[in-house]
Amino acid sequence: MSELGRLALLLGFACSVFAVGSIAWGLRTGLSGPLRSGRRAVWAVCGLALLAVILLERALLARDMSYRYVAEHTSKDLPLHYAFTSLWAGQEGSLLLWLLILSAYGSAFLFAYRKRLDPFYDAVAMVVASVMIFFTGLLSFVCSPFRILATPPADGMGLNPLLQDPGMMIHPPILYTGYVGFIIPFGFAIAVLLLNRSGTRWIEEVRRWTLFCWGFLGVGILLGARWAYIELGWGGYWGWDPVENASLMPWLVGTGFLHSVMIEQRRGMLKTWNIVLIVLTFELSIFGTFLTRSGVLTSVHSFAESNIGPWFLGFILLSATIATALILYRKALLESENRMDAIVSREGSFLFNNVLFVALTFATFLGTTFPVLSEAVTGTKISVSAPFFNRVNVPIALALLLLTGAGPVLSWKRATASVLQRNFILPLFMGTLATLIALPFGATGVYPLVCIFAAAFVTTTIVMEFARGIQARKGLEAGALPAQVTQLVRKNKRRYGGYIVHAGMVILFVGVLGSSVFQKEAHAPLKTGDVLRVGPYTLTMRGVTERQKENAVYTTAILDVKHGNRFIATEHPSKALYTKSQQPMTEVALHTTPAEDLYMILGGVNEDGSASIQAYINPLVSFVWVGGLVMVFGTLIAVSDKMRLRREEKEAP
Amino acid sequence: MGNSIRLALLTLIFVAAVGYLIMTGVRQTGMHYMTVTELAHLDRAPKSEAFRLDGTVAAGSVVYDQKAPKLQFQMTDGKEHIAVVYDGLMPDAFAAGREVVVEGAYRHQERALHASKLVTKCPSKYEAKGLGKDKS
Repeated sequence: MSELGRLALLLGFACSVFAVGSIAWGLRTGLSGPLRSGRRAVWAVCGLALLAVILLERALLARDMSYRYVAEHTSKDLPLHYAFTSLWAGQEGSLLLWLLILSAYGSAFLFAYRKRLDPFYDAVAMVVASVMIFFTGLLSFVCSPFRILATPPADGMGLNPLLQDPGMMIHPPILYTGYVGFIIPFGFAIAVLLLNRSGTRWIEEVRRWTLFCWGFLGVGILLGARWAYIELGWGGYWGWDPVENASLMPWLVGTGFLHSVMIEQRRGMLKTWNIVLIVLTFELSIFGTFLTRSGVLTSVHSFAESNIGPWFLGFILLSATIATALILYRKALLESENRMDAIVSREGSFLFNNVLFVALTFATFLGTTFPVLSEAVTGTKISVSAPFFNRVNVPIALALLLLTGAGPVLSWKRATASVLQRNFILPLFMGTLATLIALPFGATGVYPLVCIFAAAFVTTTIVMEFARGIQARKGLEAGALPAQVTQLVRKNKRRYGGYIVHAGMVILFVGVLGSSVFQKEAHAPLKTGDVLRVGPYTLTMRGVTERQKENAVYTTAILDVKHGNRFIATEHPSKALYTKSQQPMTEVALHTTPAEDLYMILGGVNEDGSASIQAYINPLVSFVWVGGLVMVFGTLIAVSDKMRLRREEKEAP
Repeated sequence: MGNSIRLALLTLIFVAAVGYLIMTGVRQTGMHYMTVTELAHLDRAPKSEAFRLDGTVAAGSVVYDQKAPKLQFQMTDGKEHIAVVYDGLMPDAFAAGREVVVEGAYRHQERALHASKLVTKCPSKYEAKGLGKDKS
């Protein structure tokens, strides 16, 4: 069976090469035959990748220990669902999943545009296929998932306990769906340059694809944060770890692009800039995979050190060079149709928004790769971590948050004084009010206060925008307020979906502020009957139990939790000891309320029978997750909007 | 025209501000990043105490007081040793022989690194070396 797997990947490689060659020939000669065969080859790669995945899954589920990959990542006592998800526990399987998603995107793309007989779409498919060459090549010649062991062990190494978590079952596929999806916008950009296409139809199509994978990437990042919060047991959800940064960077540039693309649609400006952003987003996605998989930088998440680093770097350099050369070659195509009229305008705010997003990405990139860069430049290695990112990224992010409120209410071309007056007085007032209210609650420091001000400011502008929309539609339809809001959103899903995403972002910022500035911690060894106080909570130790469950032994502390004098719950922070690897794993106990999380860790049982307990109060953490969900909801609304084309585009099919 | 000059000026100010943030950020939060041997061979106290160090937990060197909690161990790169003190719970994947990354303050008189952050690299990969060769 392993031979069949190798063969599938090898055929996939051949089909990818064929697809690129055939489509290139078709584009050159204008013949439709080669284009059609090229498209079919893309479909074939998808089928072959699926076959390879099925074959590897079969081996994983059967725990066929003659496969190196199976022996490395599973064991016989591993529950079935984790055996299934161990497909993406290691490098080879992860790359295979990459390939599957990549080829699925290629096929989905061809299916979506199957009725368009424009070779433009074939050119996009050609770009996708050339990336497929890279991945099928890696999987065939550099790191095959179908390596067979000379002497199969009796049992496997087992799955890393950190990955034995429900969140970890879905986090990688969702993150990859986001990462990989940026191939489609990248393909569009390259196709436009290759074929020298003008017009804005493609930009509208790209916006939808980008929104789709941007949404997935966002969900992936959130799930990663949630996993870190629950599984890593250090009381936080974001540590500016290289791998976290790697997933954040394409998201940031993608967000910038989603904004600036609106200027191109409306005003025909920033064309070069938009192409650069698309290319950058894609390269950062590949770079993210490279960071996660190459072990160049040390990280909690870097599971492997491997030989694929140079290949990825080479691929990034090659694709970036081609893209840059094409952009320079087609400079005339990317000429701006308009000039900016005034800085205080919608365009101005979008431009500033873009500069901020790129600055944020740049700072993150610099911080993440600083050891490598500083060694190259000065010869001494300097490393930066969380404090650097908090110093540099927080002010930029806060400026962005403020802009979230200002941008949407500025008018296009030029905002007049009366517009400014009408739109800004109430939000400024509400922001100031919120800041004054927050002061007695112990909010000190410039950044927390700016964050509170900005949150109230932005929320007010969003509410005003909704109110104004409903006002404008008064008389068209009567009805209760919720019905009117739904009607309004339905009429312009893109715009109001965007506002909902903004609202989610505000909620998320408030959550980050609360949990980072106001965290409380307490720890103590507790014997039965002992008490630990943290904030308003009292934890009383009831004893420690031990039991075997599936592939691990769980030591569990039983804690009665009181808030003031009121009993609220019995909690069970645990430590699992995995039988196979003898690897301990902290199982956090979490008591969640809308206002705060009580986060409890069992450090272990001491010689005198006491159990070391560490407890955190993380205020407003739930806002982070709720904010994220609201953002997803807004994205779904925006992505469901119909195509909006400029008049001239509609007329010319 | 006045507009593009104003725009260029704004961009300049902005780039300067971000540059300033990054420069001061590195200066105030940057850590020396070297190998255990390089650190052990320093003959005088470094200008800044902030250090980041990669290495392996030396066998038999781990002293853990779970009640405090306080974790002490020797970190090695195969040649030299540096003492590490960490006030916190032992991370799950921590054990002698594992690769770790520590960040903290290096006290030259004590020849010890007081870690504020301790990250254990995932062990799965080097255990897998025990699986032997591929069938050709």
